[in-house]
Amino acid sequence: MLPQTITNYLQQTAREARTELPDHNTSLFDAGLLDSFSLVEFVTLLEEECSCQVADAELRADTFDTIAKIEAYLSQAGVAV
Amino acid sequence: MSCYIAACGAALPERIVTNAELAPMLGIAPEWIEANSGIRERRWVAAQQSASDLATAAVRDALRQADLNASAIDYLLGGTLSPDYQVPGVAPIVQRKLMDCRLIPALDVRVGCAALLYSLQIARGLLASNAARTVVCFGAEAQSKGLDLHPRSAELSMLFGDGAGAIVVSQQPTTGLALRVEDVLLATDGSFAEDLGVRAPGSGNGARWRDEERAELFLPKMNGRTVILHAVRKLTEATRELLDRNQLSFDQIDWLVPHQANLNLLRALGKKLEIEQDRIIVNLDRYGNTSGASAYLALHDAQPRLQPGARVLVLAFGAGFTWGAALLRVCPPGARGACAPADL
Repeated sequence: MLPQTITNYLQQTAREARTELPDHNTSLFDAGLLDSFSLVEFVTLLEEECSCQVADAELRADTFDTIAKIEAYLSQAGVAV
Repeated sequence: MSCYIAACGAALPERIVTNAELAPMLGIAPEWIEANSGIRERRWVAAQQSASDLATAAVRDALRQADLNASAIDYLLGGTLSPDYQVPGVAPIVQRKLMDCRLIPALDVRVGCAALLYSLQIARGLLASNAARTVVCFGAEAQSKGLDLHPRSAELSMLFGDGAGAIVVSQQPTTGLALRVEDVLLATDGSFAEDLGVRAPGSGNGARWRDEERAELFLPKMNGRTVILHAVRKLTEATRELLDRNQLSFDQIDWLVPHQANLNLLRALGKKLEIEQDRIIVNLDRYGNTSGASAYLALHDAQPRLQPGARVLVLAFGAGFTWGAALLRVCPPGARGACAPADL
């Protein structure tokens, strides 16, 4: 599971986009929850909430494409999810 | 040794291509282009017009502002993603077209959208070493000729425009603009070389320069979301480092002059740097992303707003990835001779 604040952010974004939080393997970009602008905001939030800095090599849109990928990244980065 | 941007010139093609004209070619709505990029229109060159034509016009404009002839140029530095030819570079062709330019060194600086900053640092070094007294740097693009005007490339082809800008860099201010170059910070991370660029023709694509079956390699490629993530991070870090080593804070920057990539990037950058949007120079709504010319054109358009004493931060990020920041200070109008800090 994602940290609650991250889930809250995505749920809020989904509400604003008048849609629902997609399943874990659906692209957040395709679902309209993230775009190039909000991605920057989302990664900043993720780093603040998880007290981590995404390494340059991992700083790719694909890393944050789905909830499953974000969870996998946080797990691999040693952040409890 | 002091270093000044003593003049700034520009040249734009006459043809204006609005979103309404471009959108049907790309299979998208005109409103979608503006909503997703901030771009309303861009300029495209005519069929017989090349990057060197625009560059030559921009250099002439800059020289006119500085009240100099091309014979005064000691060194010519040029940047483009859309050169007239693969070899030679664009700078030798501009040297030829300037007509009264001496047989000076003319060098291409191939760092995409960060061309102004890399050229400026090289120019500074040339002045400091007395290899040159007057250096002219330019950025020019005729990239509309290489765009894939097809729905498959809509998100990329909607962004780019043509144009050119040029600056005169010298040890003393002239009659034109006087921006003292206080510091320049540059960086490169080649790990992302394939995320932004045009791969062909080239020796890195297999057995042959040209493989016509791999047509996509000849077209611009950009992983836009990844580029924005890195651009915001790297430009924020570069700004912090530059300001720290000059004992300055964000609120002491009067104007941010960024490479005009995309309005989303400029907004994200302003937010990160805590610089209000009305202190950010934006002209991409009229010109689109003009790549190597973009920061030059932004600096050119910023001129009427630059009051004496103002601190200007120029930021650019491009293929490579290459990026950097330059800290400039506006000298009083008509400043002659060295413009000392006390003058400000």
